[in-house]
Amino acid sequence: MRVLLASFAAVFLLTFIANPTRGAGWFWDAGNALGFAAFAGLLHLTMTSNGRLDVRAHQSLGYGVLFVALAHVFWFMLGDGAIIEFLKVGAPDYMWHGIVSCILLGYIITVALVPDRFKVHRDYASFRYWHRVLAVITIGTATYHIVVSNFYLGIWYQGVLFAGLAGAVAFGRSFRAKLGQLPVVGIGMYMAVSLVFAAAFTVARNLPA
Amino acid sequence: MKVFFVIVFITGVFIVVFGSPVAKEKPVRDHYYGSPEPILPMSFAHLDHLTENCILCHHNYADDTGGALCMNCHVTDPQVWPLLERQYHDLCRGCHEEKAAQGVDGGPPRECMACHLGDDLP
Repeated sequence: MRVLLASFAAVFLLTFIANPTRGAGWFWDAGNALGFAAFAGLLHLTMTSNGRLDVRAHQSLGYGVLFVALAHVFWFMLGDGAIIEFLKVGAPDYMWHGIVSCILLGYIITVALVPDRFKVHRDYASFRYWHRVLAVITIGTATYHIVVSNFYLGIWYQGVLFAGLAGAVAFGRSFRAKLGQLPVVGIGMYMAVSLVFAAAFTVARNLPA
Repeated sequence: MKVFFVIVFITGVFIVVFGSPVAKEKPVRDHYYGSPEPILPMSFAHLDHLTENCILCHHNYADDTGGALCMNCHVTDPQVWPLLERQYHDLCRGCHEEKAAQGVDGGPPRECMACHLGDDLP
């Protein structure tokens, strides 16, 4: 639970260290809060993937993170009639990075356990290698999507710190190993924390001046 | 669970192709303002921008590039119009974002539909 809260706190607080009241309306802020919650979930999944991992719990939470990421996507696609134009050919590259991140997340979750894993990977070592590589790419593309879209992280040092946080989690395997096997939270707890942080984020950004 | 996500993915593709079934307003791409290819409609209200310096947008008043209206060049000039989206987003959205950062209500900084509905305002 502490790792989950730390992941959420780090992600959301970085958006508040400059222009904490900067908002784009409750609809937009709520949708993006879901995206930040999904990203915090990605960090939690990575932080807790050391040692003797409970793979079922890890996959179950992965589905939860994917669900929140898709809620972020569909929130905007359904609510704003023009935003689909940013999901077509010619869209800004940071939007394509977001799409790739979602697709990769879905892929690495669904082929992670047997029997599906055997359809893609001949042996466990190959699976582990590609699962790690694709997880790093998933975090990397999601980070690019968030930082380059450049609204809540509008000051340069916010982007640097955010990318640094993502990089430290994605590439800090040796550090994570020292922490040992951290517990993976249940999907219900993750959803509850996501809702609380998303609601707080949205309210804070839309308080009357 | 896999079937669920496959259905969600297909639904997403349908929404991208055919538009949101629940959004109140949907922009229609067309050859607005004489654009060579279909573009989204845009709304702009001069009345909402009376406190801004004209040259902030009308650079041609100062840099000797003619006296035409924005759309005359930015959607018809073969060299300029491919930059339309980036230039207008940078100028309009950039200014709205600066105001939002200052805590001033300076127009929509992000919501697409706030600007991409056509209007007849001058």
